[in-house]
Amino acid sequence: MRYGGDNRSRLLLVTLIVTSLFLITLDLRGVSLITGLRHGTQSVLGPFQRAANSAFSPIGNFFSDVAHLGRTRAEIKSLETQNSQLRTTLIERKNIESQIKQLKSVLNLSGTGGYKVVSAKVISQGTSASFSQSITIDIGRNAHLTRDMTVLGGDGLVGVVKEVYASTSLIMLESDPSFRVGVRIAGSQEIGILTGQGTDRAILQMLDSQSTVKAGDVLLARGSAAGKPFVPGVPVGTVTSVPNSAGSVSQLAEVQFFTHLHSVGIVAVVVSPPITDPRDALVPPKPMPTPVPTVTIFLTPGATPAATLGATPAPSVTPKPLPTSTPTTKK
Amino acid sequence: MYTRRGIYSTAVFALVYLAQIMIIDEVHLPFGGFSVFLIFTLCWAALSTPEVGAIVGFFAGLCMDFAPTSNGPIGQWALILAALGFTIAFLRYGDDSLRSDPLSLVVFVAAAVVVALTVYIVLDAVLGNEVGRLSQLFRTVAGNGLWTLAIAPFILPIASRLHRGIFETREFQ
Repeated sequence: MRYGGDNRSRLLLVTLIVTSLFLITLDLRGVSLITGLRHGTQSVLGPFQRAANSAFSPIGNFFSDVAHLGRTRAEIKSLETQNSQLRTTLIERKNIESQIKQLKSVLNLSGTGGYKVVSAKVISQGTSASFSQSITIDIGRNAHLTRDMTVLGGDGLVGVVKEVYASTSLIMLESDPSFRVGVRIAGSQEIGILTGQGTDRAILQMLDSQSTVKAGDVLLARGSAAGKPFVPGVPVGTVTSVPNSAGSVSQLAEVQFFTHLHSVGIVAVVVSPPITDPRDALVPPKPMPTPVPTVTIFLTPGATPAATLGATPAPSVTPKPLPTSTPTTKK
Repeated sequence: MYTRRGIYSTAVFALVYLAQIMIIDEVHLPFGGFSVFLIFTLCWAALSTPEVGAIVGFFAGLCMDFAPTSNGPIGQWALILAALGFTIAFLRYGDDSLRSDPLSLVVFVAAAVVVALTVYIVLDAVLGNEVGRLSQLFRTVAGNGLWTLAIAPFILPIASRLHRGIFETREFQ
């Protein structure tokens, strides 16, 4: 025999259903009391949930991972691919930033010197197995290049166009052992011939045995007739050492190139020499020495050293910048 | 007597409710998981008189409405569980053959869970809320039913023992 079919039970059920519908209506109408009750409940339950979350989230994640094993794997694979793409993009971006920096330097140099240039990208470095120092750039006859054109980098001379092909050109670097360029010393205008040595250093041979060369002298290209193969005024390098050559016919010096030939990515080929010789306009500015802070300590002498020390346990210290780096003590 | 039963029942349901929001809700089970609170409520209602079933369903539904994870209006679960609690108690209370068979009671509760969830979704749709894709809804409801079939055999003895201890009128064998 079933129980509960009487009027009292039905009345109770109807009352509860009506109450529920009333609550639904109130909530849907946005009555603040109902909303406040919900917020209050959630405020009370919040701490319990946070505690449970820290305790059970590893278990929860485990079940979730097991349940979504296939999806997780696919997601990991997708993220790995995305990560790889982002890394590639980042490397490309860094590469482009470096190339932009080089291009700006090259254009600055060309603009200051008044050279008409065509910029190019280095697409290949010559192999060391051939014992020649060369690079290949991505323009050739299509950019109206011809042999014996000067090639510039952001810091100065890079080399000279050796061969021109349809869409590429071979550049002989200034470090090539067969590379020779006439140079002059900025300021004194004394002239000499620079010869590549296969490294980032070259040998300068002065034409006049009475010439005076010293470390730190800046060398610029003298320039050739009609600007080929070298336009005048291009920075080449700086003298690093002058060996003692007593009794030798000519003065020799070791020179370091301005251009870092291993990292050159953008170059400019001079297609037209400047109208006027830029002379020493392209001499790079000397690096500013880093200021070294100095401190001068003034000690106040007492009647006797012991008494003074006893009377004034801490000496008076006055910081004062001086041009020397050695602390000076005045008594 | 009624006060004592009410207090004890409230304490039991509060514990189950806390277990639901602190443990079960944190464990992301496949196929939508299950609601131990809903299963326990329906088991409790099945063991009670229709009046008690309706009242228990109503207040348990209110608790579910106030749960942080609930997104329906307040009173929606209360409405469903009040009606379902009354119905399940009404059907179970006078049916001796069903009461003597625990397996059938488990299936009965699982079916009630499926009905409760389905009615909830229908009500949600009627009230104009976004209910999601049909395939996903079916997956969740069916998953809940299967989970209930698996979990209810463990919950039912506990609920029966507690119910017997509080009400001392009916017991589950």
